[in-house]
Amino acid sequence: MEPHGFVGVYEAKALEYLIAVLYLLLFVPFWRFVNGGRSAERVAQVRVRPRPAPARGWFSVPDGVGFHPGHSWARAEGDGVVTVGLDDFARKLVGPIRGVRLPTTGTELAQGETAWSLLADSRAVDMLSPVDGTVVALNPEWGEGGGAADGDTYGEGWLLKVRPSRLAANAKQLLSGDVARRWMEAVGDSLRARMSPELGILLQDGGQPVNGIAQELEPERWDEVARAFLLS
Amino acid sequence: MSDAALAARAGAPSWVTEKLLMGMSPRTYVRSLATRGNLIAGLILALGLSTIAYRFAYGLGSVTNLSQSTPWGLWIGFDMLCGVALAAGGYTLASAVYIFGLKEYKAVVRPALLTGFLGYLFALLGLLADLGQPWRIPYPIFYKHGVTSVMFEVGWCVFLYLTVLFLEFTPPVFEWLGWKTARRRALELTIGLTAFGVVLSTLHQSSLGALFLMAPGKLHPLWYSPFIPVYFFVSSIVAGLGMVIVESALSHRIFHSLVDPRRPVDLDRISIGLGRGAAVVLFGYFFLKLQGIAEGGHWGLLGTPYGVLYLVELLGFVLLPSLLFAVAVRAGDVAGVRRAAVLAVAGVVVNRLNVSIVAFNWNAAERYVPSLAELVVSVTLVTMGLLAFRWIVNRMPVLHEHAAFHSAH
Repeated sequence: MEPHGFVGVYEAKALEYLIAVLYLLLFVPFWRFVNGGRSAERVAQVRVRPRPAPARGWFSVPDGVGFHPGHSWARAEGDGVVTVGLDDFARKLVGPIRGVRLPTTGTELAQGETAWSLLADSRAVDMLSPVDGTVVALNPEWGEGGGAADGDTYGEGWLLKVRPSRLAANAKQLLSGDVARRWMEAVGDSLRARMSPELGILLQDGGQPVNGIAQELEPERWDEVARAFLLS
Repeated sequence: MSDAALAARAGAPSWVTEKLLMGMSPRTYVRSLATRGNLIAGLILALGLSTIAYRFAYGLGSVTNLSQSTPWGLWIGFDMLCGVALAAGGYTLASAVYIFGLKEYKAVVRPALLTGFLGYLFALLGLLADLGQPWRIPYPIFYKHGVTSVMFEVGWCVFLYLTVLFLEFTPPVFEWLGWKTARRRALELTIGLTAFGVVLSTLHQSSLGALFLMAPGKLHPLWYSPFIPVYFFVSSIVAGLGMVIVESALSHRIFHSLVDPRRPVDLDRISIGLGRGAAVVLFGYFFLKLQGIAEGGHWGLLGTPYGVLYLVELLGFVLLPSLLFAVAVRAGDVAGVRRAAVLAVAGVVVNRLNVSIVAFNWNAAERYVPSLAELVVSVTLVTMGLLAFRWIVNRMPVLHEHAAFHSAH
């Protein structure tokens, strides 16, 4: 086709060579510029989010929280409402949790009865309510499409606000303080007994349990393992 | 006792509940779909699918502004050319990981392959709407090959590469289904499929550009160049890298809970590495474009309105993202890398639309402007692609490895 420019063919070829040489000349400093500066490795190290370690033992057991043997917890908030969630053990047992099937507000819960389901790896595992009462609020961070903040099991990771109907009676069935910690140690021992030698050695060497223990133990039937521990 | 009997005894969910309904009861699953996003998607699909049905019932002329002088419009320019270019992350990442051994990028290969597969699939669906006789789409493959047509090469490459992408993506499908032997067989094909995929992509990414070599009088001289095939291929690498950066950032944010915390993906490091590659490729692409102007001797056209548009594309969507990538990579600024990636991806879209629509028939008396129905169909195809991506990612091990196959890699 007709060239539309104001240079002849020889000048055009000269320009092409010039552009090629210019590219080669500029590429070297460009390459050095791109590959200099802060290394990606250093950036990555700076940006890694610290993961909270368990307060004691393998699983976090804070004070001021009542634990149900089915690994849900309840904490009285002082305004007549109880905050409810799943404990550190349940989270690490089932994780990574893809979402939670929560009851709707107004639902009546009964202690020891199914209250919500954890969704992970295309399966659902039910969990039991730690108290009797009426659901008054749901954590908007949770839902079937996504999970709440990692690691903050007893804070931002709460599931429900419940107006309890007989909290005093329920509280007698919940474990707290040193009793809860001993119970959690026993649960940890029970878990260790089910672990494969490979994983057991890793843990006994001082490692922390992974998130998704049940899937490590029984990849195919991990939900059955989880239900056994969560009493559902 | 069989697995099924054990599952039934343990009260385990059925196959449909577990695999398709994500562990929910049908009622809960349907309720979970009642979101604002799904409502908007549903409205788009209802409008778009009825438009597509209308097009097939009453022909292309009933819904498009296409004509004998402008037979290719938005559906080719956007759905096909942009869709295929933006799907280039599949071959780019697969070759980086499996051929060049850059294993640190392995975590983003599956999403890239899925994006690639869906990109091609929906580009093909868009093509079906655009073809006057869509039932003849298998002709180049099975009936009359038409070996003298550039479409023969494009048709074969897209057909073969779509098959290759599907096969490359089968390991997560087999993991989802629990088919261990099939998965093992599929993994054995990885290297061969990747190499084949690179060859096919090189051929047809460039041949999509070569289509325009047949229209030297129709395409504006600034965009027309013997280098168009090279431009299309090189810019597809940019599109692929950019899309993987953008798509992985969005996926890890939207599907955060699906990322396995036991094996955290260092997405920042991956993004910076991909950004480094994109900076270098864009830098070279910029000089290649200059060569195109020099080769045609079209410097004088840069002062015309089309020249301004060309300069906007060249400086704003090629050189600028290259420099932004370089600065962000050097500073370790991941957010900057992602912003540059958005600009780079937009630049490839702008280029394809310029070549196929804006600068095409630039000197014709009547200019083509897409109809509303054409826009609706294109938006519908993008929506369908996004919904398919979400459906698959929510069920199959795309952003994480399946629990049963952790040690198998």
